[in-house]
Amino acid sequence: MRLVIAEDSVLMREGLARVLTEGGFEVVAQAGNAEELQEAVRRWKPDVAIVDVRMPPTQTSEGAQAAQEIRSEHPEVGVLLLSQVIEATHAVALVSERPEGFGYLLKDRVLEIDDFYDAVRRVGEGGTAIDAEVIAQLVRRRDSEGPLDELTPRERDVLELMAEGLSNGGICRRLFLSPKTIETHVNNIFLKLRLAQAPDDHRRVLAVLAFLRS
Amino acid sequence: MRVGILAGGLALGIVAYRTQVDNVLVETNARALAQVVSGWAFLVAGLVAWSRRPSNRMGPLMVACCFALLARQLRYAHDEATFTTFFVFGEIGYALVAQTVLAYPSGIVRDRLEVLFVRVSYTVVIAFPVAILLFYDGTRPLRNFYAGPRKDYLGVFNGGQVALTLQDVYAVTAYGVLASIFIVLIVRKLARAAPRSRRIMAPLILAAVLAAMRAVFDSVLTFSSRPPAIVADNLFWWQIAALTALPIALLIGLLRARLAQGSVGDLVVRLERAPANEIRDELAEALGDPTLDVALWLPDRREFVDEKGRPVALPEDGPERAVTKLEHEGEPLAALVHDPGLREEPEVLAGATAAARLALENARLQAELLAQLAKVKESRSRLVAAADEERRRIERNLHDGLQQRLVAIALDARSAQRRLGRDADPEVARVLDGLADETQIAVRELRELAHGIHPAILTEGGLAAALASLASRAPVPVRLHTINERFAAEIEAAAYFVAAEALTNVAKHAQANGATLSARHENSTLMVEVGDDGVGGASPDRGSGLRGLIDRVEAHGGRVRIESEPGEGTRVIGEIPCGS
Repeated sequence: MRLVIAEDSVLMREGLARVLTEGGFEVVAQAGNAEELQEAVRRWKPDVAIVDVRMPPTQTSEGAQAAQEIRSEHPEVGVLLLSQVIEATHAVALVSERPEGFGYLLKDRVLEIDDFYDAVRRVGEGGTAIDAEVIAQLVRRRDSEGPLDELTPRERDVLELMAEGLSNGGICRRLFLSPKTIETHVNNIFLKLRLAQAPDDHRRVLAVLAFLRS
Repeated sequence: MRVGILAGGLALGIVAYRTQVDNVLVETNARALAQVVSGWAFLVAGLVAWSRRPSNRMGPLMVACCFALLARQLRYAHDEATFTTFFVFGEIGYALVAQTVLAYPSGIVRDRLEVLFVRVSYTVVIAFPVAILLFYDGTRPLRNFYAGPRKDYLGVFNGGQVALTLQDVYAVTAYGVLASIFIVLIVRKLARAAPRSRRIMAPLILAAVLAAMRAVFDSVLTFSSRPPAIVADNLFWWQIAALTALPIALLIGLLRARLAQGSVGDLVVRLERAPANEIRDELAEALGDPTLDVALWLPDRREFVDEKGRPVALPEDGPERAVTKLEHEGEPLAALVHDPGLREEPEVLAGATAAARLALENARLQAELLAQLAKVKESRSRLVAAADEERRRIERNLHDGLQQRLVAIALDARSAQRRLGRDADPEVARVLDGLADETQIAVRELRELAHGIHPAILTEGGLAAALASLASRAPVPVRLHTINERFAAEIEAAAYFVAAEALTNVAKHAQANGATLSARHENSTLMVEVGDDGVGGASPDRGSGLRGLIDRVEAHGGRVRIESEPGEGTRVIGEIPCGS
């Protein structure tokens, strides 16, 4: 899988590149600012662009803007945003716009290396990766009463992983459970939350997010 | 000296009366007497004005009018020398009356146009009689000169009809054209006068216009060969009434200004009780000048301020506004900006300012205090703004510097761990694992710390986004009503921290099931309100969080209200002025 990394801190950028290369990814270009990023994406047409939200010159949201442009100009390129802070509402808004090939993670998620590889791969394959912190915030808000209370703790774990964008296979690996068990959990969750089963992972993410936000 | 003048005026009146009765053969002596009485009205009014306002030139001017008007009557004499002298100089009386009116209330004609008018008037009233006499041959009586022709010293040309024609031209010029211009000048003077002057000018205007109108009608009648007796009669009495009313009106006007001084005693008493912000009103009332402004001198700042301590610029002392400065032991104390008309009444001004001196000194102390308070407020709000800016900077540095480095270090540790693989010394693998884990925890703690210092979303997303974020992080469900408007950074920060602190308290103390968070923009104020359904009983004295919050909001001129009866939940309402 071919990647472009945009990150203004050289230390961080090279660390990322090394870890990703070790994971079997091909880092085709590294960018230190939004302009270099756009140029690299145009030139290399990577599977995924991993983009730091804050980049020079103002260190506010140059990266996020560049990512938006890439998503509209090169829809085939997956975009994985890395940020020091994540606002749940903002993240959900971005995902809801178009969940295909999009990820939004806290920067320190890269330290959970296997999960990070999985997230990059998902985005590269047109899937979704939403930070667990975002989901936790949404769940916390929904927590007080209602259908979420009917879920077992395990079903709740599965729900959160679905919301992060994991496929059944991914959830299996993460929770060390059999595909059969996961399928049962998923069916139960949809039943208890009175949601219609979604035909694919994107729509499943959206359905679950919509439920959590409501 | 005034007794002498009075005697002289009375004597001249008697001479004038006799001259008319002896030479004019008027139908009634009443007319002659009336002429003299109107002259004496000027004399008495002038002398009263003179004694009451010795420094004002109006008194002497009015006395001069009396002498000129009475002397005019001497021209009817048959004696050659008397006739010549008073025919030539007699008309000066009318120009002098015009000058007196225009000079009111100071006694000096200042306006350029008015000065020109007075000069032209004097020229006309002397040049024409001289010209008339040059052509007068003494064979026929002049117009208005009954009881036969007179002899004069000036008759050089054998003019015949010319002298009479010149007399008509003179009547039109002096009584028609000049009197009309006079009316225009008076109306102009009235329109330009400040309200105070206008009030004491009203009677004067009345008399002046009446006199001028009479003159206009008189000149019109010149063109009808035999004006009906009833018209001529009415015109005569009109003139007398107007001419007698004029000095009385002038005197009333001058004395009213003087009367204002009578209220100076009351002023002292009233000012003693008046708060600083009413000193101006009391002075304005006593001086009869509603346009009055009071400026106080602050020696520390070396500038004039109003009673609230705000700097004011004094206007130029000129024809529009007059500025009177008060001093105390050589230092300026205050300045009065007033109607220029008051300049002509220095006694009134001096009396009122003497009465107000103590009150003004108190007002100055108060203004000084208020000015200092305003300064402290300003610097307080600057301090908070600077602290906010510093918080933003620290937050950014934490994220972009420290946090970034920590993640990179942890990443290296993870990378090393994986490279070593299964063959690694288990002790080394444990150390690397611990390093990465601990660093990751540090990164999270750092993120929380930075968020508490200054949430990035407040800078990047604005108040609405930051409040939404707050609501979503709260441990109890929060119903949110917010506005998408952006405000100045420090205003948004103040509102945000009110909400943040209040929600933290809800989580810590309220035992609430739910909370509301709202922000709205009302009457130039940003209102942020957090309510809960918890146990209530919150107070700013409990814990320093709320106290700091209140200080922060007050630094922006706002306030925080806390409604928290035990058992009835808590409402924290922050009101922050946002200027628009």
